[in-house]
Amino acid sequence: MTVGHDAGAPSGAPAAIRTRGLTKVFKGGQVAVDALDLDVPRGSVFGFLGPNGSGKTTTIRMLLGLVTPTAGDHALLDRPLAEALPSVGAVVEGPAFYPYLSGEANLLRYDAANPASSARDARSRVGQALERVGLSAAAGKRYRAYSLGMRQRLAIAAALLRPRELLVLDEPTNGLDPQGTREVRALVREIARDGTTVFVSSHLLAEVEQMCTHAAVMSHGRLVAQGTISSLHGGRPALLRVETPRAAEAARILDGLGLAEVTAAGSHVTAELGGHAPEEINAALVRQGVPVRGLAVVRPSLEEVFVGLTGEGFDVDG
Amino acid sequence: MRTGKLVRWGVPVAAVAVIGAAVAAGPVIAAVGADPVLPERTASRLLADAAAAARRSDGPPPMSGTVTKTASLGLPQLPGGPESPAALLSGAHEAKVWYGSHDRLRVALPGEMSEKNLIVNGEQAWLWDSSSNTATKIKMPAGEGQPVTPQPTDLTPQQAGERLLAEADRHSTVSVTNTDRVAGRPVYQLVLTPKDPATLVREVRLAVDGETYVPLRVQVYAKGSAEPAFELGFTEIAFEPPAEENFTFTPPQGVKVEEKDLGSLRPDERSHEGHKQEDPPVKTVGDGWGTIAVLPFDRASAAEGEGRQVLDSVLAGATPVSGSWGSGRIVKSKLLTALLTDDGRLLVGAVTPDRLIEAAGTR
Amino acid sequence: MSTADISAAGTSTAGVSTPAAEASAAGASAAGTEVLGQAAASARTAGRSGGVAAFARLLGSELGLTFRRPRNLVMLALLALVPVLIGVVVRTFGSDGDAGGIVAATAGNGLMLTFVSLYVLVPLLMPVAVAVVGGDAIAGEANAGTLRYLLTAPAGRTRLLAVKYLNAVVFSLALTVTVAATALITGLALFPVGDVTLLSGTTVTMAEGLLRTLLIVGYVTAGMAALAAVAMALSTLTEIPIGAVAGTVVLIVVTQVLRAIPQLDWLAPYLLPTRWTGFDAVLRDPVATSDLGQGLLAFCAYTVLFGSLAWARFTSKDITS
Repeated sequence: MTVGHDAGAPSGAPAAIRTRGLTKVFKGGQVAVDALDLDVPRGSVFGFLGPNGSGKTTTIRMLLGLVTPTAGDHALLDRPLAEALPSVGAVVEGPAFYPYLSGEANLLRYDAANPASSARDARSRVGQALERVGLSAAAGKRYRAYSLGMRQRLAIAAALLRPRELLVLDEPTNGLDPQGTREVRALVREIARDGTTVFVSSHLLAEVEQMCTHAAVMSHGRLVAQGTISSLHGGRPALLRVETPRAAEAARILDGLGLAEVTAAGSHVTAELGGHAPEEINAALVRQGVPVRGLAVVRPSLEEVFVGLTGEGFDVDG
Repeated sequence: MRTGKLVRWGVPVAAVAVIGAAVAAGPVIAAVGADPVLPERTASRLLADAAAAARRSDGPPPMSGTVTKTASLGLPQLPGGPESPAALLSGAHEAKVWYGSHDRLRVALPGEMSEKNLIVNGEQAWLWDSSSNTATKIKMPAGEGQPVTPQPTDLTPQQAGERLLAEADRHSTVSVTNTDRVAGRPVYQLVLTPKDPATLVREVRLAVDGETYVPLRVQVYAKGSAEPAFELGFTEIAFEPPAEENFTFTPPQGVKVEEKDLGSLRPDERSHEGHKQEDPPVKTVGDGWGTIAVLPFDRASAAEGEGRQVLDSVLAGATPVSGSWGSGRIVKSKLLTALLTDDGRLLVGAVTPDRLIEAAGTR
Repeated sequence: MSTADISAAGTSTAGVSTPAAEASAAGASAAGTEVLGQAAASARTAGRSGGVAAFARLLGSELGLTFRRPRNLVMLALLALVPVLIGVVVRTFGSDGDAGGIVAATAGNGLMLTFVSLYVLVPLLMPVAVAVVGGDAIAGEANAGTLRYLLTAPAGRTRLLAVKYLNAVVFSLALTVTVAATALITGLALFPVGDVTLLSGTTVTMAEGLLRTLLIVGYVTAGMAALAAVAMALSTLTEIPIGAVAGTVVLIVVTQVLRAIPQLDWLAPYLLPTRWTGFDAVLRDPVATSDLGQGLLAFCAYTVLFGSLAWARFTSKDITS
C-alpha cells in the first residue's frame, strides 16, 4: 500500500510524477535510492540526470511498478498506479522485443497486453505509431534485422501506441549514432510540443540542456537538485566579456552602467551581466568611442553547476 | 506491499495446509474420532454375532469394493520385478472385488496398463490376463459347488478374519472398540493382544462391519512400530448388488482361450511352485503365538531360477548364529523370524530370535 | 492495491476505450486532467465484458507466440512422429507372443495404438515438452527483457500469469490431441478397425472406444496442466528460461526414480508421474472412476499449490531484468 492515500488528492499544481521519501534498499543492504522527493510538473520535459549507477533506473522501475519500494510513496498523474499506467508510455533500459517477430507484430503484442486497448483499431494504432517514428517501411521486417537506431525508435513507437499523458524515457539515445540521436531528440521535442509530459533520464548533460525545461540531479541514490533549467543556472550569474584594446576605459564605462564585479585584464573586461541587456551595453561602449572587438555573454554550463553539486564529472559529448 | 507480501505468501501456505489436511484426513479422522460410532458390544457377543452372520445360509450380503494390502515387514529388498511373487511381501497392492452371491464373484487385479481378472459364475469360471492376452476357462467340479473358495478369495478379509476368530481367546487378551471406521463404515474392532511375551506380534486388530458383521480389515502390529506391519482391508466398499455384467465373460476376439478343469488345475499349480512338490514333514514347537514351524530344507535343491536368487539375497543379509545344536543363519523381519540351520532345518515363527535358537535345540 | 500489483483483469481500468474517449484523451493531453478523468470513467463503465475481451486478446497473442514459435512446432511434430513409428514397427515386425498385451492388441485393433502411444509418451517425453513451454513462460520474457514492457503496458501481473498458465494448458491439450490424433490416424491406416477390447477383457463398440479416448485425452491434459503449474512456479524463480525448464525435467526424472524404489511405495500416490499413467482406469470395465477421481484431485492439488506459489512469487517479485 505505498501508492495510496494522497495519490488521488493533488497538492498544488498537477504533477505528472510525485514521490515522497521513495527508497529502495536491495537485498544485501545496498541503498539504491534514498528518500527521493521528486516533483515532475505536467507539461514539462524533465531531465533526470545522474552518472551511471546513481539510482536513476531503479527509480524509474519503482515509478512504473516493476520494483517494489522499500519505503515511501509515489504517484503518476495523481492517480493510483494501476489507473495511471495505461496513460503512461515507457522505454526502460533500452528496447526489448521478440526477435523472431516483425516490428508490427511486436507492437501488436504489446498493444494486446494493455487492457485499455481494443483489438478493433489495433492495426491502425500500430500503423500510426510506426509512422510517427519513421518505421513504416520496416514494419514487416523482423526485429532481428533492425539496426540499433531502428530498435530504439521501435521502443519509442511502443511507448506511443496510445495517446499518453506521460512518457518515461530511460536513456533514449544510448548507443545511437549522431544521426539517430538527432532523430530521437527531434521526436522528443515533437512529442513534448503536443503537450505530453516527458520524463527523460540521461547521463548526458548536453542532451538534457538541449531538450529539457526541467531537470533533477541524482548522485549516489540521492536527489541533489531539481527545478527548471534556468533556476538550476540561477545559482551562478551570467558574465559579460568584452574584448577591447582599451580595457581600462571599458571597465570604467561598465562600472558607470552599474554592473558588478568589473575586472579588467589585458585586452578584455569581464563583469556580471545582472539585468542588463548586452546590446545596450555594446551601444554605450561604442557611443563613448571604445572599440569593441568582441562581446559575449558567458553562462556557466550546467556541467559546472552539477560538478559542483555531485563532485563528479559528466559525459559532455553527444 | 510490505504487508501485502506476507498476505501473498499466505495463499500458498493456506494451499499447503488444505492439501495436507485433505491427504491426512483419513488417519486424522481415525485418530481424532474417539467418539463411539456404534453401541457397545462385549467381545463374546461380537464374536457370536459375527459367527452367526458368517454361518447364514446365504453368505455375506452382495457387495463391491476395493481391497488393499500393505505390508512393511522390514524384509531386505528382494530381487524381481513388481510381478514377482516376492513383491507381494512388501509394498501396497490393490484388488477390486465384486461379490454377488456365493457362486458369483469377480476379483480384478489392476496393473499399469494391464489387468488380471477372475470371474466366477456358477459352475464356470474365467481367468483373464490382459498382459498375455489369454483367457482361461475353468470348469468347476459339479456338485461340490457349495462353498467355492477360489484362491484369490483366500486373501479376502472374511477368510483371514474367520481364521483369527478361532484362535482368539486361548492365547490372547481380547477387547473390543466401537469408535473406528473402515472404508467410511462404522466398525467394531476386535483387538487381540498375545499373552506370550516371546512373540513379535504386539496386537492384531480385526475390524468387523457394524451392520453386516462382514470383516472389513485385518491389521497386524509388530512390537516397536506404530504402523501396522501387515494390513489387508477394504478401502472402498458398497453393500449393493454389483451389476450383472461383472459376472459374465466373453473372450474377446483374437484371444487365446485355454480350458482347464479345476481338478487338473490344482496339482498343476503346485508343481509350478517348485519346492512344494511333496508335502514336507512339518513339525511344530510351542503353541499359540509362539508356535514355531520346523521343516527340513535342502538349500541346494530348494529353489531354482528366480527363487534361488531371492534365497541367496536373503541369506546374504542373514546373521550367523550358533548354539549347542550347531550353527545356522537367522533372518529377522518385523513379524517373522526364520532360522536356517547348517544341518538342513528351517525354523520359522512370529517369535524373537532367542526363542528360535532355543527351539533349534529341541529335536 | 499495491504498487507492484497492476492486475487490471477485472479492475476499473480494464475496458475498451471508445474512439470518442481516445479522441478526448488525445485532445486533453495538454492540461486536461478533468477530461481524462472522464475518459477513464467512461472506460470504466465499458465494464467487465471489455475486461474479458482484453483478456481473451492477450491470451490470443500468447497462443500466437506459442504456436508460431519454431521450437514448439518441432516438439509437437517430433512427438506426433512417435505413434507413427510405433505403428510402423508393430506393422512391420508384427507382435510376437511375448510382446506386451496392449502392444499385441494394437495389431488387432488400430484404436489401441492411441493408448499405447500415450502410455509410451506420458511418463517423460510429453512432460518435457510441457516443461519447455511452462518453464519458458515467465523466465523467457524476463530473459528477453520483454517482461518489463508487458508489465508497463500494463498487462497486470496476476492477469499475465493467468494468461501464461492458460496458454500452457492449451499447449498441453494441443500436445495430447496431436499425439492421440496421429496415433488414431496411423492406427486406422495400418491396422484393422472394430470393436475394442478393454483391459478387463470386455469388448466395447468402436464408438465407445472413441469416447473413452476422449476421456483419456482430457485426463492426460489435466495431468500435463498440473505439471505446467510446477514449471510455471519454477519459471518465476529465475530469469534463465533453460534453468526453469531443466529444473522441471530434473524434478520429473527424480520423481520417476523415487517411484521405482520399493521402500518409497507409500510416497508414490502423491507423485505426479504416478497419476499420469492412471488413465488406464478408463480402459477398465467398469471405468475405475474412483481412481480417475483421485488422479484428478492430485492434479488439482498440484495446480493449486504450485499455481499459488507462482502467483505469490511473481506478484511480489522485483523485475530487474
